[in-house]
Amino acid sequence: MLWYKSWLETRWRFLIGLGLLSIAACGAVFDYPTVLKLMPLANNIETTIDTSTKIGRLVKQAAALQATYRGFIWWQWVRQNLVGIWTVFAVLLGSGGLIAASGSGGGGALFTLSLPASRTRVIGVRAVTALGELLVLVVVPSLLIPLLSPAIGQSYSIVDAFVHALCIFVAGAAFFSLAFLLSTVFSDLWRPLLITGAIACVLALLEGALALQSIQIGIFRVMSGESYFRGTGLPWLGLLASAAVSAALLNAAARNIARQDF
Amino acid sequence: MTDRADGARRADALVIEAADLHKHYGSVQALRGLSLQVPPGSIHGFLGKNGAGKTTTIKVLLGMARPTSGRARVFGLPADAQESSVEIRRRTGFVSDDKDLYDYMTVAEIIRFTAAFFPQWRADLERTYARTFELPLDRKIRALSRGTRTKLALLLVLCRRAELLILDEPTSGLDPAVTEEVLQTLVGHVASEEMTVFFSSHQISEVDQIADRVTIIDRGRAVVSGSLDDLREQYRRVQLIFDGDAPDATFRAPGVVRVRRSGRILTVLSSAGAERILDEARALNPVSSDVVPVTLKEIFLESVAAED
Repeated sequence: MLWYKSWLETRWRFLIGLGLLSIAACGAVFDYPTVLKLMPLANNIETTIDTSTKIGRLVKQAAALQATYRGFIWWQWVRQNLVGIWTVFAVLLGSGGLIAASGSGGGGALFTLSLPASRTRVIGVRAVTALGELLVLVVVPSLLIPLLSPAIGQSYSIVDAFVHALCIFVAGAAFFSLAFLLSTVFSDLWRPLLITGAIACVLALLEGALALQSIQIGIFRVMSGESYFRGTGLPWLGLLASAAVSAALLNAAARNIARQDF
Repeated sequence: MTDRADGARRADALVIEAADLHKHYGSVQALRGLSLQVPPGSIHGFLGKNGAGKTTTIKVLLGMARPTSGRARVFGLPADAQESSVEIRRRTGFVSDDKDLYDYMTVAEIIRFTAAFFPQWRADLERTYARTFELPLDRKIRALSRGTRTKLALLLVLCRRAELLILDEPTSGLDPAVTEEVLQTLVGHVASEEMTVFFSSHQISEVDQIADRVTIIDRGRAVVSGSLDDLREQYRRVQLIFDGDAPDATFRAPGVVRVRRSGRILTVLSSAGAERILDEARALNPVSSDVVPVTLKEIFLESVAAED
């Protein structure tokens, strides 16, 4: 029944996220015909943008990628919409929990702690429920792409959809785990959310700055599965490193909860 | 060892036992050497002023807070070990001071949720109490009045076949009618089931009404403990009236809790052996002397005041 409790606590965040990402997935597919019409302009990009600069080269690269449907989906949907929105919901679902419940009236922290369940089990069920929701949040909208693509005369590989979804989930779980750990430190909902959000923004800016220097590293790059998209294989090192960081953060959260007084 | 001897040993075992319990929150000393013994089958009142350490003690017993030092055992199991704490909570029902429940659940949902943790859940009692308490099953808990919330919290602990109920200020914030209903339900339930009740309160009247044992806690230490009948039997007020101002007397007899002088009157509160105090007092030549029984309220107020 702890599953049921965790579901009740997170369902609105999950359902809103699922709704938003599904709409974004539909939007990405049905935007493509419009993008196709604009392609002639993109082909003449040298006439409007100085492509000798680093930024100009990146813009040209982006425009070139979107000449194919697979490239467009990866650039617009996976790399921008899905990674961005999903990360926001990973942080949202990681925030809250037992400590926040003890700080606000009616959260039921003492009621939970009076049940015959260990703190490890309580926090474990909460983490697994939220991670399950995050998996659904990334897989279901991703599957909408291959399902809806025939409606505009295109096709998209289910395997690609799955691989990109799993890259986002495995690497991005680090943001969830960080918010989850911070929620065992702070007694309010906002600090874990804001601190993790700020860290994600800094990492994104840093990654952008490094990209301009042609340095291709960063968690968002791993999440988007860029190396897989470009045909150089899965980013195993990045995925393993992110998974290890997530596991360490969740472990720290469990230890933190176990030693606390309520 | 025979089955009968085993049974006798179990019956004699204390349900709650704490020895020299200390709990510090930073520089705040919530418990300062608390010792506590609760025998099985008793309704044990835990009296103390606000901030005396009642809630901290309960949290330590339930594994929600760890003692800084000392020992706390429930059913003979250490309260600060995670595995035994789960076992303790399996056999215990707890109602917190603010009737902490999940606001986002309905009454029916939280009953179903709680029942799932207790295989021996009494569905018959659940129906009886839901009807008696007139609980609105489809209503969200956040929409319940404090009285109804308390009744729901009570249903959740009474139906789980708990061997021990720990109630933290169960009637705080309730009107007299609901308070009476809650207390009567509690007494009625305990009378029909084999269980121990340990409840904290600063309402002396309700401890007097339903408890058979009491511990008075002040500033993190137990200052009085025993059966209510014994306390009523042993505690006496010796009142001496003198011609002029009462003398500044000291008594060597054991059991002197407090001596007060007010004009011509000297009052001695005794926890044992009032007759010996009276014998000593006669040497002071009072014009009149009286030994009168005291109420729990007086014992409480004098014990707490004696610590000041």
